[in-house]
Amino acid sequence: MYRYVLGCALAAGVAAAAPANAQDSVKIGLVEPLTGSVAYNGKSVVEGAKLAVEQINAKGGVLGKPVELVIEDGQCAPANSVNAVEKLVQKDKVAVLVGAFCSSATAAIMPVAQKYKIPLVTGVSSSAALTEQNNPWFFRAAETDALMAKAFAKILANDLKLKSVAYVGVNDDWGRGGVEEFSRDLSALGVKTAMTEYFDHGTTDFFTLLTKLRAAKPDGIFVAAETQDGSILVKQLQEMGLQSKVFGVGSWATADFINLTGDAAEGIYAAVPYVSSVENPANQDFVKAYEGKYKVKPGKYGAAGYNALNITAQAIARAGGTDAEAIRKALAQTDYKAPNGNYRFTAKGQAYGFDAVLVRIEGATPKVVASAPVEAPQ
Amino acid sequence: MDLFLQFLANGLVVGVFYALSALGLTLIFGLMRVVNFAHGEFYMLGGVVGWFVTTYLGLDFFSGLVLVALVMGSFGWAVDRFLIERVRGQGEEPGILLTIGLSIFLVNITLLAVGPAPLKVARAITEGPIFLGPVTITKMRLLAMVIGVALIFAAHAIIHRTRLGSAMRATFQDPMAASLAGIRTKQVYAATFALGCTLSALSGMLLASIYSAQASVGGLVSLKSFVVVILGGMGSFPGAIAGGLLLGVAEALWGGYVATGMVDIIGFLLVILILVLRPQGLFSIRAERA
Repeated sequence: MYRYVLGCALAAGVAAAAPANAQDSVKIGLVEPLTGSVAYNGKSVVEGAKLAVEQINAKGGVLGKPVELVIEDGQCAPANSVNAVEKLVQKDKVAVLVGAFCSSATAAIMPVAQKYKIPLVTGVSSSAALTEQNNPWFFRAAETDALMAKAFAKILANDLKLKSVAYVGVNDDWGRGGVEEFSRDLSALGVKTAMTEYFDHGTTDFFTLLTKLRAAKPDGIFVAAETQDGSILVKQLQEMGLQSKVFGVGSWATADFINLTGDAAEGIYAAVPYVSSVENPANQDFVKAYEGKYKVKPGKYGAAGYNALNITAQAIARAGGTDAEAIRKALAQTDYKAPNGNYRFTAKGQAYGFDAVLVRIEGATPKVVASAPVEAPQ
Repeated sequence: MDLFLQFLANGLVVGVFYALSALGLTLIFGLMRVVNFAHGEFYMLGGVVGWFVTTYLGLDFFSGLVLVALVMGSFGWAVDRFLIERVRGQGEEPGILLTIGLSIFLVNITLLAVGPAPLKVARAITEGPIFLGPVTITKMRLLAMVIGVALIFAAHAIIHRTRLGSAMRATFQDPMAASLAGIRTKQVYAATFALGCTLSALSGMLLASIYSAQASVGGLVSLKSFVVVILGGMGSFPGAIAGGLLLGVAEALWGGYVATGMVDIIGFLLVILILVLRPQGLFSIRAERA
């Protein structure tokens, strides 16, 4: 009995404290990997998000209050991401959640967001299955592998004149998803599959995989990998003397990737939702602000964090309060002008309307080869 | 057949690298009986310090390697005198907890200091492929193998040919008797730990120049090194070499003929097999102690 009373008192105390907090600021919770093998990309998302918050607060915030970003480390792991979300919801009382980086982690926090009835926006997780779960609280302000594959398969098959392609991906849902989607769309255009192989996160030696690849003699090599794994893989491709055309998805068009990879990066293609060299006024302003703050041009993930936060803040402003249901409805009405086009959401919460680009790395800078709008999935 | 030769060559190269990265562990875990969970972090620090001295101090690769050895040797000495010494002789558990704590501390300090991004360590020579018949290998890999083998022999010589080495072996066989015979065992413990730490760090810098240095690599390195040490036998240098080569070749063949996506499974299969069939490892110098 005593325990029950204490529990009630605690709950009442927390409930009483919450509105007091809420009056000071509008809290947005951000779950990204800050340690572990994709920490580096997670940090870029946080940088983009912080820049967005800074700009929003400079213009007076939303609902007349400053926006406060509460950042937690989800480590790209489902269990840690769930813990982070529990903490953000229970302790920090955030109005909206943004995250988590890896699709597997996002899949784990989606039911938690639904349980607490808090809108969840991801700017990164690209596994197509996420928006198929009919979770009304989930919005994806990012491309999926399927949409990227659809946008670029024809350009790749025709312009690069590929007859056979070897597929290499990191051994997780994102890597496997990317390989499956691209191989399906390219096969439909008559491109043969020479080989399909996966490797684990944090692999350092790819010589065995590349030996198989060399024996398969493909025209093109498709790679789904992030900066760390991807840069080592591309370097070793050159060390093995492989001449095939390389194209990939992941954060390939960034300054860091090119710096780490060196000469070996020359001539590779990357299909990315964002690249800093796109020429339009909105993007130039964003690049200038980002470079001014972080001394480096924004990459795919910096832009993802920036866009996700802006979409969220604008939805809160349109909702006119921090009521979760109102924010959810406002999110569904999103029409956000991003540096890379216009974001809208389908009924399932999948973003469309923004531009994706195919770049080729030449002279250590990504040059835009082709650009295609990401269309709403059928 | 050509394919097989290339797989074998890949496996042997990676095997030498595994042996090299496990050397520090085989000393500290095998001889000192300290289950060192911070081993991977010593390796990681070697790469990160190597990046720092070649990038910011402008040293070339080999001077950098010497400086890394000095810095990490002193660091290892300090860790033993200020931390490990406090839990010595209290069984293995306090040492395990201490080194787990140390590894978390080192990773996070490194994240704080240099961030999570991969770091590029200057290379010793310009890189380029070498073709030996059907087999491709690179210059830097060959050089790293040569340095690796040299380090293995040097460490073996220190333990078996020098006065310090005799003192080490005496101390680890029977600390009480060694101390009665006039050996300053505290110094010997610290020297062994410093040597183990230096070897881990040197392999870390060597391999970082081929791959890249990064704050979060430690966990995987520790795991593979434990596999190598268990396969080869505790504290045995020939064992570390045999264990490393066995693991490297097994992974290369498994990756080559089965699937690269499940390559980490093979190391642990081997460990289970060895523990069932020959629990003391392939080579073992473990003497029964009083």
